[in-house]
Amino acid sequence: MKRAGKYLLLLVALFFFVSPVYWMLTISLKSEVDQFASPPAWLLFSPTIEHYVDAFVTRSFLQYLITSAIVSIASTLSALVIGTLAAYSLARFRLPYKLDNKLSLWILSTRMFPAIVTAVPLFLMMRDLRLLNTRLALVIVYTAFNLPFVVWMMRGFFAELPRDLEEAALVDGDSRLGALWRVVLPLVAPGLAATAVFCLIVSWNEFLFALVLTQTDASMTLPVGIAGRVTQYEIKWGVMSAAGAVAIVPILVFALAVQKYLVRGLSLGAVKG
Amino acid sequence: MPKSKRLFSAASRRELVFPLLLLTPALAVLLSLSIYPLIYSITISLQRETADGIKWTLANFARLGSDSFFLTAMAHTFVYAAAALVLEFSIGLGLALLLNTQMRGRGFFRATLLVPMMLPTVVVGVVWRLMLNANFGAINGTLKEFGLNTEGLTWTASPRLAFLSVIVVDVWQWTPFVFLVLLAGLQAIPQEPYEAALIDGSSRWQTFRHVTLPLLKPAILIALLLRTMDLLRVFDQIFILTEGGPGFATETISLYIYRTAFRFFDFGYAAAMSFVLLALTNVISTIYIRLLQTKETA
Repeated sequence: MKRAGKYLLLLVALFFFVSPVYWMLTISLKSEVDQFASPPAWLLFSPTIEHYVDAFVTRSFLQYLITSAIVSIASTLSALVIGTLAAYSLARFRLPYKLDNKLSLWILSTRMFPAIVTAVPLFLMMRDLRLLNTRLALVIVYTAFNLPFVVWMMRGFFAELPRDLEEAALVDGDSRLGALWRVVLPLVAPGLAATAVFCLIVSWNEFLFALVLTQTDASMTLPVGIAGRVTQYEIKWGVMSAAGAVAIVPILVFALAVQKYLVRGLSLGAVKG
Repeated sequence: MPKSKRLFSAASRRELVFPLLLLTPALAVLLSLSIYPLIYSITISLQRETADGIKWTLANFARLGSDSFFLTAMAHTFVYAAAALVLEFSIGLGLALLLNTQMRGRGFFRATLLVPMMLPTVVVGVVWRLMLNANFGAINGTLKEFGLNTEGLTWTASPRLAFLSVIVVDVWQWTPFVFLVLLAGLQAIPQEPYEAALIDGSSRWQTFRHVTLPLLKPAILIALLLRTMDLLRVFDQIFILTEGGPGFATETISLYIYRTAFRFFDFGYAAAMSFVLLALTNVISTIYIRLLQTKETA
């Protein structure tokens, strides 16, 4: 009896957290008649892919998708390279005046800035640099945004490795960068991959900077493209839902890939779940 | 470990070169894209362009106290954050306790609950517009099926319901995060204290109150800290769902700063307000971090 109650509670929770996403998926597959059906068609309707065709063939959503992919991948790679080097330094070397600890905390604190605080000056800076409505502007901003996260995560992964291996490599005549590249990086590869996936997710989902910095069809990301349609007067629900469904797919694949590191990544390395 | 000392401690100046070199790119990026924007922001918040050049002034900050939009947006932000935080914490803790036992299907439940928080916030906005639409939304349509009168339930069109709606949406998206962090915290608690409590004959409530809660405190504080920071700066979902409306009923501080900067192009005033937000998040995160540290040293 008690166990049945427990499962019932969990089923209610499951329904609450999952049914809205399911509803959007059905809307993306329904003809307009079915979308407005009363009572709402939760289960039975004849599926159509017309909205997907409309969004990604007729309208510009394919272009937004490509922009999102390029921006996410480029910013993740640059944040990963720059951040990993810094993390290795902070994890392995003691600087005078406890500077290594202070720097780590300072780097983390830049991540805590509310996005709108830097969005206003970054817009003005990018305007002065004539970088508004370019992918480059987003790559630059996302690199800076992901950097503290990479440093903090990788610092944790490096700290967990024993030093003996690098020492052996150094004694064997490897340079310090050589030891990092050949000995240390392969050992933290799973952590590095998880960190990369988190950066990809954050960049892929990011909205406010993209909204402020990109307003043209050629430069906007998928979230901005979706938002631009939602707030107009006549809303194409099917197109929105189809674009939303496509935006979710890579995220779910990524999330599955990093399940093991999920808690750690989401808590900025604070909880090692 | 003498060897280790020799290789990794920076005893001489020459040995500082390599670690500092590794740090340089990261520091350059953060200085130019996080710190410089802040300085830029301070500058424009303290300036006003007049006919005879740029004048330094505190006018933008003086305006804050008498701007009813600003004060209302701050109030909205606090109420929104407090309500969402309480709900996310209670439901998240409840779910974590429910799933912190051996049971069939636990992995499935855990994985499925994670879906909302991974979604792009824009998609979350779309999802809930579809659910909440007064005419063809799934919620009203389904309620009608059960014979309920849904005429008054214009979710995003009436001020009170719209405010409730944006809270529910945040609870929907982020309770799974609180749940996940707390579950990880629960699973890190060793068995011994529970066995001791059992031997002492503690009741289940006493065990929870005196064993579970204290040991869970670090995880609780981290979950609350990260949620509070996010809630105070909330923008995306509300922007998509209500655009701060109806009227300004759901306008939080981030939305008002956005409106000031990118609808009225008053960048100076927007910058001034963003410093209030920054100061606020700083104070609150410092409090949380102090609490965390007292736990660790106690």
